[in-house]
Amino acid sequence: MASNVEIPRAAEIGVRVRREGRFRAGQRLSTFGLVGPTVIALAIFFLAPLWYIFEFSTGQKWVAPNDAAALISGELTSISGALWSDFFGDGVIIELMPNLGDQGAAHVTVPAALIGLLFVVLILAAVMGRRLVPRYGGRVVGFSFVALLVPFMTLPAGDHILRLVQLSSESTDLRLFFKSVSMATTSSVIAVLIAFPVAYYLAFCVTKSKYTWLLIVITPFLTSYLLRIFAWKVVLGDQGLINSGLASLGVISADAPLTFLIYNQFTVMIVLTYAWVPFICLPIFIALENMDRRLLEAATDLGASRLRAFAKVTLPLAAPGVVAAFLFVFIPSIGEYITPSLVGGTKGYMFGQAIADHFIGGAFDWQGGSVLALFLLTVVLFLTAATSKFLRAGGGTA
Amino acid sequence: MSAASAPAPRRRPKGGGGSVALSRNGRVALTGFFVAFLIFLYVPTALLIVFSFNESTVAAFPLAGLTFDWYSAAFENPNIRAALLNSLKIGTACAFFATLLGLMVSYPLARRKVFFKAGISALLLLPLVVPTVVLGVALLLLFQRGFVSIPLGLGAVLIAHVVIALPFCVLLILPRVASIDRRLEEAAQDLGAGGFTTYRRIILPLIMPAVLSAFLIAFVVSIDEVVVASFLTSDKVTYPIYLYSGLKFPEQTQTLIPIATVMIILSFALAFAAEGLRRVGERRVGLRNPVGR
Repeated sequence: MASNVEIPRAAEIGVRVRREGRFRAGQRLSTFGLVGPTVIALAIFFLAPLWYIFEFSTGQKWVAPNDAAALISGELTSISGALWSDFFGDGVIIELMPNLGDQGAAHVTVPAALIGLLFVVLILAAVMGRRLVPRYGGRVVGFSFVALLVPFMTLPAGDHILRLVQLSSESTDLRLFFKSVSMATTSSVIAVLIAFPVAYYLAFCVTKSKYTWLLIVITPFLTSYLLRIFAWKVVLGDQGLINSGLASLGVISADAPLTFLIYNQFTVMIVLTYAWVPFICLPIFIALENMDRRLLEAATDLGASRLRAFAKVTLPLAAPGVVAAFLFVFIPSIGEYITPSLVGGTKGYMFGQAIADHFIGGAFDWQGGSVLALFLLTVVLFLTAATSKFLRAGGGTA
Repeated sequence: MSAASAPAPRRRPKGGGGSVALSRNGRVALTGFFVAFLIFLYVPTALLIVFSFNESTVAAFPLAGLTFDWYSAAFENPNIRAALLNSLKIGTACAFFATLLGLMVSYPLARRKVFFKAGISALLLLPLVVPTVVLGVALLLLFQRGFVSIPLGLGAVLIAHVVIALPFCVLLILPRVASIDRRLEEAAQDLGAGGFTTYRRIILPLIMPAVLSAFLIAFVVSIDEVVVASFLTSDKVTYPIYLYSGLKFPEQTQTLIPIATVMIILSFALAFAAEGLRRVGERRVGLRNPVGR
């Protein structure tokens, strides 16, 4: 069969080797030519701007045209940590059961750095506990997750918000940050609670055209984010579709609309959930779909009930997807801007809006705004880096 | 998939009927939940579309009658037309540049030794993580007080949108390049094709669906982006900014609904086309699972 394959003569081999040598040199040049422009563009239009936030936040740059004008406008004109110490205030106030007694709630003030350190340790323990603590790793991870989530879980109770533990501060901005984190936590938890059954249904119950249904679930996420939030504003507003619908049915009077529907924290949380839930069905679905079904069958063959098999087999195997799903909602929600400004009103005001308002809103304070922006950026980057294991597991799918 | 059709276990848990994963009642309950979920997901947008045809000056029940007046009113408004045109221009330019840059970096990153590859890959994806408010503020500082002073306006918005859209393009194109069988390239080169010819005749046709999909997604990202754009525009506005600033006046809501509907349908169609292309592309390079791994 191979008898009529021509064997290249020595000279031809030489030509090819020489050609490949030139090819390699050309390769190195063209690699640089292909990657270089993008890297340079990102350095100028992405990294440099982030550096300017840092410079502004430490008083190395200011908006006023000169020193004298800066003194009048109250800006810093030399390197100083003053804005940062203002931001962190005197410490973080931890209140237990803040809704039980109005003034009687137990509270204790802790330095902000200590709280920060505590969170870093808890997050690292939640991510790496299994590797660091060989025997009780599972418990360490579980405890860290609970300790991270519980202080921030909120429940709406009439007009106010019900919490077990509340972090607060004398510093308005830091307090607003805690509020945003707790809103993001709650909406992420709700989103996961909704997405899990949907993904479970798709993975285990749907047999015909499974991926078409998955696409139907995910498609809303691919369409305009702004418009999906806008739709809720139209639905929930004081003269919106729910209120006008109920009024035309005679359930409520048109002059007394249900005002709790919009412009509060809970609406922001629900709409955030709505915005992200289609997307996070994907990582959970992938985790469930990749699970070896024979494990479930083995569990039931060995006498486990469905519930027990679910708790001991399905849930642990789906856990990385669930954590990824949580983070996919949580990380962007902390700095969310569109949703609270459309449906949040003053009660649902969030950290991202505060940043924007320092720059284009009423207050024209670029240095103060930079402190907030850099703080948010640091938190988000730390979270992303610490949890990249989960994000990659869930994100390789997107 | 294959595991699901594996032989049935001998013993099934009590409750009968359903599979190992779910009892029959559980299945019914979950189906109900799934239907409710789809309603929750699609009804707000569907209502918006219905009310864009409503013959009334406020978006409120009861429905009054069918009319196209809101559409003709909206698109005869010169401000809206200008905003739409601006968005289409920025979107197209953004899609072009982001796809081009994504295409340029993907091949070396997938195939060659690149100095500091992990760092460069992280840098390319980083804009995805940075909150849009922070990015908008940062670019405002750069353009106003930094070493490149670019006047605020559509050009500044375009630069920002390319930065935001680039990670999406890289995420769509790079895995496709990486999944191409290396032997195809080696065969082409053994047959005498040079580097560029191999790229043009072998790689490019195989990743073309992914490239088109990246183009569409970058376009959608740009025409939908409002946060960064609102920091960087001057007097000329884009379509979403027009919509967003109109929202401050509740009495205008009804006039904004047709604009919103057009954008929802546009982004829906484009995203659907992009997803379709992505699947075609995966089939072309021989990946079976449509969700991708």
